[in-house]
Amino acid sequence: MKGKALLMAALGVVVAAGIALASDTEATVPADAAKEYESFGDTKIVDMEIVKDMFSHKSHVVTAGISCESCHPSLFERKRGAGKAKGDYNHTSFDSGKYCGACHDGDAAFSTTGQQSCKVCHGSDMKQPDIIVFNRPVKGVVFDHKGHVDMGLNCASCHDKEFEMRIGAAEETAHKFHMQAMYGGQYCGVCHNGNIAFAANTRCTTCHIGVKGVEKMFKKKNGDFEKKG
Amino acid sequence: MNIKELEKLTNEGVDHLPLLERRTFLRAGLAITGLFMGGTILSLTSIRNAEAVTGPLPKKTNYPYKPHYTMVMRQNLCVDCELCMEACVRTNNVPSYGWRTKILERTRDIGPKEQETIFMPILCNQCNEPPCVRVCPTVATYKDKTTGIVVMDYKKCIGCKTCMAACPYNARYFNEEIRAVDKCNFCLDTRLTKGKKDPACVEACPADVRVFGDLNDPESEVYKLVHQPETTVWVLRPETGALPNVFYMNVVLDV
Repeated sequence: MKGKALLMAALGVVVAAGIALASDTEATVPADAAKEYESFGDTKIVDMEIVKDMFSHKSHVVTAGISCESCHPSLFERKRGAGKAKGDYNHTSFDSGKYCGACHDGDAAFSTTGQQSCKVCHGSDMKQPDIIVFNRPVKGVVFDHKGHVDMGLNCASCHDKEFEMRIGAAEETAHKFHMQAMYGGQYCGVCHNGNIAFAANTRCTTCHIGVKGVEKMFKKKNGDFEKKG
Repeated sequence: MNIKELEKLTNEGVDHLPLLERRTFLRAGLAITGLFMGGTILSLTSIRNAEAVTGPLPKKTNYPYKPHYTMVMRQNLCVDCELCMEACVRTNNVPSYGWRTKILERTRDIGPKEQETIFMPILCNQCNEPPCVRVCPTVATYKDKTTGIVVMDYKKCIGCKTCMAACPYNARYFNEEIRAVDKCNFCLDTRLTKGKKDPACVEACPADVRVFGDLNDPESEVYKLVHQPETTVWVLRPETGALPNVFYMNVVLDV
């Protein structure tokens, strides 16, 4: 009995301290979170605009023991946002050995285009949509992104060969994004050919839920949100 | 309507008397004589032929017009993209609250946890025996003598909306702008008379759900579809006896 009371008291103290600490840190963290970047060595590069947590300085410098000169200034200027300012800071440059691609080529370090590697860097900047709605060339077509990921497919199963990893990319070339292309094994037709998944020329309304279907889906979603909120 | 005019009318006969009206008549009569015994009395007028269920099978005598304009809906191809509705609105100046064609929707279980959605495009069925024409007090709506299309004379319409109530297909709406009832006329004024082959909705459909043509022409696609062997072709609400000219069927999807 006495032991239990003591335990409770100890727990209470810990919880109280925790709360105090939490409120303390909240108070001291500067509003400009990007400043984290300055404390070199044990933190991450943080680009507040689009990309968060994309590059971990710590894992490269502290864990892997890479020297400053390995990357600076040959690959990256010692200046925040310098890579991006050049305009070619993208995967195409990586493939030709620039920037991250100097090491991340599949030999020295994991490849930037590897099947499982997308999320290693793009852990938080990639918003994975649960459901994608296509409205071109025809309206009211849905793709259950989450369902396909949960099924065990990885990013490279569809990106970037069949679908560019960008919202609205397929719709920009709507004249090519049609059923005939799928019957020919493009886009969804890669799997939806009757062997791997149901053929694209059957079960039309599974994906083509229609204008009314999409309306209903969003109504339901918003309804749920309102209930929760 | 005065008696003299009434006497001049041709007898409609009982050939096209809808089953529903027969039943109503019988039921009323029996109720008066005290023989009404709940719903069981309906068994006296049981359905004796299959035509009463899926509608009359299309046959030559039902195509009195030349061209006899018809639309065939290959229903299971419809994906509710509503491009037909958009094209119709553009072509025929349909206001936002109105419609000449719509897509209906229903879901059906195809397994313990699976459902499929079925879309059903609807529009005016341009019936051979149109209930709307029958009830119009001012002859503002009538069958076009050549094509059989049920057309509107907006100037004659007094907006009583009786036709809207009579239509079994909910294919009419009251247009506030023109102060008259408006409906689908297979784009007769906006396209067909201007040399175009088909209505706007048919042209707009990306899935070739809607097939339009002359049912009196054995070479036309609609004739071939409607008379295709081993195929179920149906019409909506056949029990009204309106003899609609929009036929529905499903096509076999290649697997």
